[in-house]
Amino acid sequence: MQNELKKIRKYFSEDAVRLGIIAVFLIVMPFVSPYFLKTKNIMNILQNISLQGITAIGMTMVIITGSGGIDISVGGVLALSVWVAALMMKSGVSWVLAVAVAILIAAFCGMVNAFSVGIMKIPPMIATLAMMYMTRGLQTVISHGSTLNGLPEQFQYIGQGMVFGAIPIPAILIVLLYIVAAWFMNKTVTGRNIYAIGGNPEAARVAGIKNNHVIFFCYIACSVLAAIAGLIFIARMDSAPATVANNLEMKAIMGAVIGGTSVTFGGKGKMMGTFLGVVIVGLISNALDLMGVSAYYQQFIQGALVLVVVFLEAVRTRREARRS
Amino acid sequence: MDQNIIVNMKDITMSFSGNKVLKSVNFQLRRGEVHSLMGANGAGKSTLVKILNGIYHPVSGTIEIDGTPVNIKSPGDTEQYGLAFVHQELNVCIDMTVAENMYLGNWITDKRGLYDRKATSAKAKELLDMMGVSIDPDAKVRSLRTAEKQVIEILKTLTKDAKVVVLDEPTSSLNEKEKENFFLIVDKMKQRGVSIIFISHFLEDVIQISDRVTVLKDGVNNGAFTAGSFTKDDLITAMMGRKLENSDYEVIQVKEDAPVVLELKDFTSAKKFQNINLQIQEGDIVGVCGLLGAGKTEIARAVFGLDSYDSGDILLFGKRMAKPRPDKMIENKVALLTEERKLEGFVPLLSIRENITLSIIERMRGKGRAIDRKKQQEHSQRFAEQMKVKMSGIEQSVVSLSGGNQQKVVIAKCLSSEPRLFLLDEPTRGVDVYAKSEIYKILRNAAEAGTAILIFSSELEELLENCSKIIILKKGSVSGIVNAAEMTKNDLMGLIG
Repeated sequence: MQNELKKIRKYFSEDAVRLGIIAVFLIVMPFVSPYFLKTKNIMNILQNISLQGITAIGMTMVIITGSGGIDISVGGVLALSVWVAALMMKSGVSWVLAVAVAILIAAFCGMVNAFSVGIMKIPPMIATLAMMYMTRGLQTVISHGSTLNGLPEQFQYIGQGMVFGAIPIPAILIVLLYIVAAWFMNKTVTGRNIYAIGGNPEAARVAGIKNNHVIFFCYIACSVLAAIAGLIFIARMDSAPATVANNLEMKAIMGAVIGGTSVTFGGKGKMMGTFLGVVIVGLISNALDLMGVSAYYQQFIQGALVLVVVFLEAVRTRREARRS
Repeated sequence: MDQNIIVNMKDITMSFSGNKVLKSVNFQLRRGEVHSLMGANGAGKSTLVKILNGIYHPVSGTIEIDGTPVNIKSPGDTEQYGLAFVHQELNVCIDMTVAENMYLGNWITDKRGLYDRKATSAKAKELLDMMGVSIDPDAKVRSLRTAEKQVIEILKTLTKDAKVVVLDEPTSSLNEKEKENFFLIVDKMKQRGVSIIFISHFLEDVIQISDRVTVLKDGVNNGAFTAGSFTKDDLITAMMGRKLENSDYEVIQVKEDAPVVLELKDFTSAKKFQNINLQIQEGDIVGVCGLLGAGKTEIARAVFGLDSYDSGDILLFGKRMAKPRPDKMIENKVALLTEERKLEGFVPLLSIRENITLSIIERMRGKGRAIDRKKQQEHSQRFAEQMKVKMSGIEQSVVSLSGGNQQKVVIAKCLSSEPRLFLLDEPTRGVDVYAKSEIYKILRNAAEAGTAILIFSSELEELLENCSKIIILKKGSVSGIVNAAEMTKNDLMGLIG
């Protein structure tokens, strides 16, 4: 029993900073706005973070692979694949087929990224930078800077539907995907291999792990998850603006980093952490909205918050290292 | 064919760019034995092991495993032959648990093919218990001590059912208690029928643990011993030869009243070195020798302020330096040549001119803020010539020079700040014989001009030839101070190993 308690405490100590910040919001915000704790508002927050939250799942995986792993092409890949899907739907193709095509395009982009990183040994930042411009470029060609509206009703349901009359589908999807991702990272062989190659690629290779298989898996998963996030987003908005998912890569990285994923060393990071990180970002913008703070200030405050969390994390890890 | 031989390396010859490093070397490992491989620096033992590991490919010779000839093309091939290597630099994933590291890539899965954390942990515990190791299988490897990480690496080979385990200098970072545990583990591995190749400089450890010993000297077999029938002296003679070393140089003479430049008093950094006391006078050359892990590099770095230390005093010209920092040390006329030339010694793409003036760039300023190019050129030209750097000109980039000439540029960089105390860590590693003797000449000249020189080195000849006295380090403590003139290489080898 005591052992169990210890385990639980150890588990939460890793997320202490994040849980602390969320607790502050939960305690303070109800005084600022009585609306804050209403089910509707909480659902609203989950719905709003679904775009960057689902993207951050793949981003976390890619960052954990280490060796500078990062994917800044997620915004571009998302934009290209959802625009192709939206155009197909507008021209009367079945929405199921359109969704499948979007996911295939994303998977292809992810495969190219993995090829550059794993086989050509291009630094991930550069490889995915090229992919970001290629995909954004193609999307600009097909979108001409316009916005598409009027998507099929059934497709819109993915983004706008409600379960039990109160829970929006995107909110369910983001929670569900995080549970699956956490399970995947902890329980499957591939999940463990991701931590192994990130923690020490040489040890992994010696242990007979095929590092490149893992890299392909992660980059493809990252692109596909971005596309899924994008499809949910355009379904919710019933609109695919030309600027869809601008700066998404930075928001996803921010979620992962606030979540405790290490961009310096691989092999360190957890889905639970990233989820809390994304929730914190969502809580801030929600709180600022409720307080009536202009959107112009929000970016600055979010940026400052990243710094605060990262500082606190650094202090916590240094303390932990000293203790052992 | 002897059924008992599991690894048979026959007539292995190896050369690097025409330089023969192994000449028809034979090495046989019997089933269930601990076979030590010994030799001085450069004798060829690590080359032989790298051939077995598939990192190098021999010019000629054959390798048989279980009587079958094999062709090991890359390290990835070794697992299928039941070979496992534990390298000196440990390959662990620090953010994973002990159990996960032991079963890395060999994940224990449940019926559905999912990773089974509980079973992994239980199996790891079983193995740890069987080996008499008390480490929590669920602890993160980050929280372990080096010795424990090494145990994990050794046990990892058992989870892969290796038949032959190669241990490269496994005892160099262990204290006495840890070493005892290590010997127990090796014994238990033997009982399980694992054959072990043990590479070590530590004579006592080799004597204690080995069933047989093979000694290499200058790339040839130079001795084979069986447990119980040899002494420490036999091993030393086999490694070093009988020849007495006569130095061509005169022994450094220091004036008795020469001021003390550096004094360390009870200088201590937990786990790295303890209670180091030493003194060096103006114009003296003092050596500090010891095996890898004895604490040489750590002391040099701590004195220069690159790493922190826990207690004790650094006295520079009799003045206590409370918190040494590289910039403060340079200001106080101290220079350090670091061990890692490529990483810390020079900026590869910059020219010789820029590298030589790197640490004194402030002094190269002209009347305004800008650097006086002419002054810089003259300075670098003068030093490069003094050092006899072979170059097309001082504008050549340092990365394009040979190892020996790179090292001369780095020494020129250090000397151009006119140090009164010059610390050198492994100053001639990877430097050819000719450049070596030139470097020694330069250091002697500097000493004659009054610089105190402290050489940290594992090359015994280097210390015997150049130093007045040699401080012997063992496991982070001074175990003796000897006069170089009264020593032979064999004596010194006996003292450090």
